[in-house]
This record gives sequence, C-alpha cells and structure tokens, in this order.
Amino acid sequence: MSYLLTCPVCGKRNGYEFRFGGEERGPRPDEKDLTPQSWLEWAHLRENVGGPQKEWWCHQQGCGLWFTTWRNTLTNHETPPEEGKS
Amino acid sequence: MFAMKRLWNRPTQKSAYDTVIIGGGLHGLAAAYYLARDHGLTDVAVIDRRYIGFGGAGRNTAIVRANQRTQENVHLYNEGLKLWPELTRELDFNLMFYNCGNLNLVHSEAGLGAFRMNVATAQFCGVKSELLDAKGCKEVVPQLDISDRLKFPIYGGMYHPPGGTIRHDALVWGLAKGAAKKGVHILQQTEVMDIGVDKGRVTSVRTDKGVINARRVLIAAGGYSTLLCRMVGILLPIHVLTIQAMVSQPMKPFLHHVVSSGTYHAYCHQSLKGELVTGSHMDPWPNYTTRVTARYIKHQAEALTEMMPCLKGLKFMRIWSGLADMTPDMAPIMDGNTQVENLFYDAGWGYFGFKSAPIAGRYMAKWIATGQRPDILSPFGLERYREARLQGETSTPINYGPWD
Repeated sequence: MSYLLTCPVCGKRNGYEFRFGGEERGPRPDEKDLTPQSWLEWAHLRENVGGPQKEWWCHQQGCGLWFTTWRNTLTNHETPPEEGKS
Repeated sequence: MFAMKRLWNRPTQKSAYDTVIIGGGLHGLAAAYYLARDHGLTDVAVIDRRYIGFGGAGRNTAIVRANQRTQENVHLYNEGLKLWPELTRELDFNLMFYNCGNLNLVHSEAGLGAFRMNVATAQFCGVKSELLDAKGCKEVVPQLDISDRLKFPIYGGMYHPPGGTIRHDALVWGLAKGAAKKGVHILQQTEVMDIGVDKGRVTSVRTDKGVINARRVLIAAGGYSTLLCRMVGILLPIHVLTIQAMVSQPMKPFLHHVVSSGTYHAYCHQSLKGELVTGSHMDPWPNYTTRVTARYIKHQAEALTEMMPCLKGLKFMRIWSGLADMTPDMAPIMDGNTQVENLFYDAGWGYFGFKSAPIAGRYMAKWIATGQRPDILSPFGLERYREARLQGETSTPINYGPWD
C-alpha cells in the first residue's frame, strides 16, 4: 500500500505526505448547458480504471504543490507517462 | 473412515445458465441461495476469480449492527440482523453469532449530537439503541479510560445491544453449502473477461474458461464491481479504497462488546478465539491492491492503548486489507435493468458489505426473479445521484473526527 510518489519540487516522498485529488477528468463543465445528467457525470461518476490512470495529487505535507501524475491502480506504483495514454 | 465430505462440489462450467452471478462473496452467494430457496431458480452460476470468500467476505472484521443514520438503511440492516439466528438453523451451520452489542464512542458535543439523531432514527424504527454519558460507557466497558488524560477525552457513546459479531468464514461456507445443495454451480478460479450485451440486453459472460450464455447477470463483486460495470459502460459514483485490519495475540475473555471511535479511527472487539480484532480507517487513494502498511499498526496501537490503557504491551499477530467501495453518501447502490436490460448490480457498500450481505442478497434475488424492484430497495438506485437525492448516511461520526 505504501508507496513513493514523485513531487515535481521535492522529489520522491512517502505517499502519506500527499493528498489524493481525484482522477483527471477535464475542466468543470460550463454551467450554461448543464443538465442533471452532465452534472452527475462530472460531479459523481468515476472511471475507476484498473491500470494506469492520470490523476491529481497535492503535496499537502510538503511544498503544497498540486500536480498530475500517472499511477497504476492495480499495483499502486507510479507509471512513467509514456506507458499510459495521455 | 474419515473421508472428507465437501460442503460444495466443483462443477464444470456449462455453456448456459439462467442467471450468472459475478462475485463469490457473501452478496453473490446470498443472492444465489435465496434465488434457489425462495424462487426455485437453481440454474444459477456463481463465478469467482479466486476462491469464494477471498475478497471482502473474508477480510472484514465481522461486526454486525443496525444503528445507521437514515430510516431507509436502518430498516434494511435491521431485517438483516434478524436473519442470523434464522440462517444458522436453516443452513445447519454454526455462524457463531455473538450478540454482544456495540458501543460507539464520541469525543465531542457535536459527535453526541450526531448520535442523538442516530438514536432517534433507531427508536423510530423500533431498533434498540441508546445514548450514554462517559460514566455509562465505562459501566459497559470498564477498560475505558474516561479521564481527561486522553487527547480526545471520551464524552459519551451510543450503545446498540442488538449488534455483535459473526464468524465471517462460516457465513461464506454456510451459504455456499446451502446454495450448492440446491443445485447452484459455484465456479471458482474463473475470471470474467467480458460481459456480452446485444441490443441493450445482457446475453453472455465470457470467462477465461469459455463463454456462458446468460439470461440475467448480477454483478456483486464488492470493490471490483466498478471494473465489471465498466465492461458494459456503466460508470459508478464510487471510490475504491483499501481498509486495513489486524488481530492481536489471543487473550482470555476480557472485552464483551464491540467498541469503536470515529474520532480515533479505531474499532475493536475480542473474537471468540480471544484475539483483539481491530480496524482502522481507509488509505485515502483509490486502488485495487490489498497491501498493508506499518502506519496503521502504529495508528491502532496508539489509538487503542489511549482509550484502553490495559492493552499496552499487546502484540499484533496479523494484518491484512480489503477493498471498500465508497459512495458519496455512504449508502449502497442496488440497481439493475436500467442501462442494460437484465443486468443487475449490488455495489457501493463501502465498509457495510458484511453486515448487509444476506438481506441484500435476499432482496436482489427477489428483484431478479420477479422483475419487480422490492420497495425496500427503491431508495438505493443509481438515479438518486442524478436527482440530487443523496442519502444522509454521511453524518456518521467519522466526519466529526479531527481530520488533517
């Protein structure tokens, strides 16, 4: 479970120093054309990929930076970006 | 002379079943058992990637209770509680139901306020549950330190006598035995590769052992349900987190209740073998591993010895983890026959999957067999998230803890 995550500023640090910020799922939808369905999709539904996924992290107990990285959810290891699709 | 009698046989996979249940955990096995028992549907296969009880069914801490926040949930869990004695007789299998009662501690006025709501709901639903002050807590569990020495002194608690613990493996084996005896096929070490859909209707399940044509499919795979639902394009509002639990060395009986504290993120009870079974809160990033960390051994040791100083020096023996599929409102998602016809799913139980298994299986079986959603399940559909009718289970005291 424990794993090291690479902060762009601080380098490899203990995973528990970070706060998970969710899957990368694009910008918040424009409120002009919002429907209950599109809000549901953005606010609640998750891909829950079993494999590499692009996601947000915050180095909460370090420099405080928000950044995206790739992680394989089946192994809990960081994946180099070239292995995953962008 | 001592020929081993198997509780369930090892059938070979047929090319077609009426109903295929994906997930050989408690929810899947219970659904299969009740399909056979109540609806005469025995052309059923239960598929598991590993072996039955490998997942959450064998990784929980075996606590049962019905002191949730909202009426919808309390009714369901309360019916579930009444099933334990019934199932023990019916399955002819000792489930070792220990009706010891649960004591949930609070450490603040706000926490007690939240419990006041839970107790009101419980009493309204006819479930026994009461509020205690710190002294009352100590009368129930004399080992508690109710002094102000603690980082979070004990302010009071909610005592719920109908709860207790069950031998979780016994429930897996009992339900498997009961289902297999009625003709259900339990297919272990069979991985689902794909789910076939034709014209909006489920048609088949492709496993690593071949294709199974199926009229109906139930996904009841605990934390892995999200992966299976994705195969047919159903996304769920679920975060799959790991939750770690551990047991200590065995001791003489000393703790006669389930004790928990949302603020300390710790709950424990003494198993009938004498071990202290304890769990902590979740690792806060979604993943499908079952790895463990020393962090929680330390966390549990600190939390437990603070609340019950007599535990100092106790040694932990084993640690493990399991998946908890958390929904935004801490209530399950039991749905089906919507996005894909004849495809049902029973997911999002978070850490309530164990205590709810037989009752959820029973109602899902009813829904699958009759095609009509039982009224008691109507609050648990996926549509509630679109309609912004989230349930109020998030007022469970864990939210009153001092999170960092």
